[in-house]
Amino acid sequence: MFDYYLRLALRRCRQNLPMVGLLVLTMAIGIAATMTAMTIFGALAGEPLPGISSHLYVATMDAREAVDKDNPDYKQPDSLLKFSDAKALVDAHHAMQQVAVAASLTQFARPDGKRSEKAYGLMAYGPVLQVLGVPLRHGRSWTEAEQASAAPVVVIDTEVAQKLFGTENAVGRSVTLGRRDFRVIGVSAPWNPRVRMFDVRQNQGTVMGQKEMFLVPAQAALDAGVGPLLAGECGKDAPVASFQSAAVAQCRWIETWVRLDTPATVATYDRFLAGYANTQHDAGRFVYPPQAKLVGTQAWLALNHVVPDDVHLNLLLAGGFLLLCLVNVAGLLAARFLRRQGDVAIRRALGASRRTVFVQHLVETGLLGLIGGVLALPLTWLGLWIVRMQPVSYADAAKFSPGVFGVLFALSLIVGLLVGILPAWRVCRLPPALQIKLG
Amino acid sequence: MPIRPILSTLHKHKLTATLLTLQVAFTCAIVCNVVFMVAQRVQRISVSTGIAESELSAIHSRGIEKGENPQARHTADLAALRAIPGVQSVAAVSYALPLDQSESSSGICPSKEALDRAMQRNSIDGSGCMEPAIYDGTPGLVGTLGLHLVAGRDFLPDEYVSKGKPAVAIITRALAQKMYPGQAALGKDMYDGDNFIRVVGIVDTLLRPAPRQPGTADDSMIFPQLPDHASATYVLRSAPGDRLRVLKAAEAALLKASPNRIIDPKQMETYSQIRAEYFQRDTTMIGLLIASALGLLFVTALGIAGLANFWVQQRTRSIGIRRAIGATRSDILHYFQAENFLIVTAGVVLGVLLAIGLNLLLMTHYELPRLPLWYLPVGALALWVLGQLAVLSPALRASNVPPVVATRSV
Repeated sequence: MFDYYLRLALRRCRQNLPMVGLLVLTMAIGIAATMTAMTIFGALAGEPLPGISSHLYVATMDAREAVDKDNPDYKQPDSLLKFSDAKALVDAHHAMQQVAVAASLTQFARPDGKRSEKAYGLMAYGPVLQVLGVPLRHGRSWTEAEQASAAPVVVIDTEVAQKLFGTENAVGRSVTLGRRDFRVIGVSAPWNPRVRMFDVRQNQGTVMGQKEMFLVPAQAALDAGVGPLLAGECGKDAPVASFQSAAVAQCRWIETWVRLDTPATVATYDRFLAGYANTQHDAGRFVYPPQAKLVGTQAWLALNHVVPDDVHLNLLLAGGFLLLCLVNVAGLLAARFLRRQGDVAIRRALGASRRTVFVQHLVETGLLGLIGGVLALPLTWLGLWIVRMQPVSYADAAKFSPGVFGVLFALSLIVGLLVGILPAWRVCRLPPALQIKLG
Repeated sequence: MPIRPILSTLHKHKLTATLLTLQVAFTCAIVCNVVFMVAQRVQRISVSTGIAESELSAIHSRGIEKGENPQARHTADLAALRAIPGVQSVAAVSYALPLDQSESSSGICPSKEALDRAMQRNSIDGSGCMEPAIYDGTPGLVGTLGLHLVAGRDFLPDEYVSKGKPAVAIITRALAQKMYPGQAALGKDMYDGDNFIRVVGIVDTLLRPAPRQPGTADDSMIFPQLPDHASATYVLRSAPGDRLRVLKAAEAALLKASPNRIIDPKQMETYSQIRAEYFQRDTTMIGLLIASALGLLFVTALGIAGLANFWVQQRTRSIGIRRAIGATRSDILHYFQAENFLIVTAGVVLGVLLAIGLNLLLMTHYELPRLPLWYLPVGALALWVLGQLAVLSPALRASNVPPVVATRSV
């Protein structure tokens, strides 16, 4: 019966082409607008590190050590800590896993000076690969002993390895960072959080996650004269730390992230953190009440407005647009179906049940929906292209991925059926006798 | 025009009429809010900076020569820039210009007592102290930017300092009114925690480099402080049409004066470009919002026209009968117009309620103020006009149905 309905539907579509065109195009525009907004939203709204970041929390506190008369208020949680505090938190081992990280940008050179490459990466204290789930291709991560002795070791990603050494497996090679030679002990796969999650306060306006091309023990990097990308907050009387300086002993520049799997451990760690901060405050180091707090990744991103409100607004707008298109199409379909009451009357009089009439009409609208979906495909592509052309920070998220096809197919089918329900129900409800009379 | 027959016809087409009403309601709700958001953003991007925007351009230079005296460098550079034909005046600033994003702000109090209050409360809120953006620059900055002095004077040559804090400042009128409400700020001594700084001039408007917090956008203060870094931004004033040429000439002149510097082509811009960059996101969003509002209206118009077409076709015979028993063409035309008016009116009534609801929802999630009520009647009017325009062609077709149709079977 289904293919018969399908043939019927196709035949009817050919009967009133302008009207069918209008129906299909309206659905296509609505679907395309929604797909464009959903693609961008989907790329930005999820977890920065799928499966991992939902267990990660960042430690925040008011760790200022001098009275700041310009800005005594502590309105927003602050994640920047002095290296010594971050180290103390990591070394306390109160969480399942913990790491302190800060973004860095530095020049990588082969010791023979033949090739060099500028790379973004993370300076870390703690088992950064394990905590963040950075996939390792070759070699290993650094050990506690290497970290404690500030051994010059580094993990680079395959792209840097390829560019410097022409091979992915660069384990054992030497590379110059700052003033010293570092030994490559591991090579990771190219890796980046989906949206920015480190140093968000200093990077307002950037949305997409930074590709981290190297991971290096923080102390070893500092010893070699390689500092964090941003000096963070330095004390007012501290010697001015210039751009990418390694003289950051007076500054708060590193963040501490911990992994906690259950609400109970989160609560425990929160208490530990508050205890640590209050001790520092009582000892007179932190001049303000520290208000220490553990903030989950998603909450942290929301707090710092990493994903711009515009993205949510676009999704809302596109949803409204689709809704309107649906109502529009449903109205036109109702009129279209009711004009054919005569045909339905004859079918009903010949014994078709209400259900079959209903199904027949739904098949027709489902078909229209799918045709709309096919039309929406190039329109979605166009929409994403337009967004990519815009100089907005999330332009990179507007990529056409294979997953889009699946969602688009499902959405157009749902749209087709949804708009058909009311009109089809209306047309199958009239009693056969009345319909013949009307015809 | 009797309404009863129209109502009874609509009663027979309950479903389609309801759907059309809903569509009008949704359109009304969404378009009212979208237009409001566009108005908000247009207001934001048309903020006045207080400077002669159309005549300014800026070029950033970073010296890389070791041991160079930055101030000597700046003086030589300024002389070279001044010699460019078409340049009316030029000044150097460390980095800050209105809307160029890099802002330095500093706490400042109207008096020593106000500072004590702020320290006591551990907050500057309510203490009378403010946090204005700080501008510095070489002599001639006020004139080069084209700032409008409403009281006092520009800095005197001996007031400029290169290191340490200056003793005088020029502040904006907005800042003056907040610091010294009801008093004349000119000549007052502000306190920054270490020194007193006297207000010697008040300018009408000078926007911050990065106005983020609402209500503080115009709190700025100029110090007679010479830029003291190897990197500086030179502000050039010239005729508006001359700016691109002047920028090119400035780059050449700077490189001639000293080749040991980096001039980033991205930081070599007319002020109009700086402004456009700052509001990039807003302009993009405005375009998107307008496009979607037009799209919504277009889809609704299509829906109204499409449905009216159907109804005209369906009722051709009844129209013929009405014409045969004496209805004029304009009777038929008015019938369809009145029908559309009724449906749109119902939709608008519902839509106004939805618009208010949607606005309340948006207010809780985004920084959006309350929708001014006058948007609603304007929105309603727009939809009435749209409805009448959309229904016009089908209604005219209906009015052209000849009476003879009544005698045929359709």
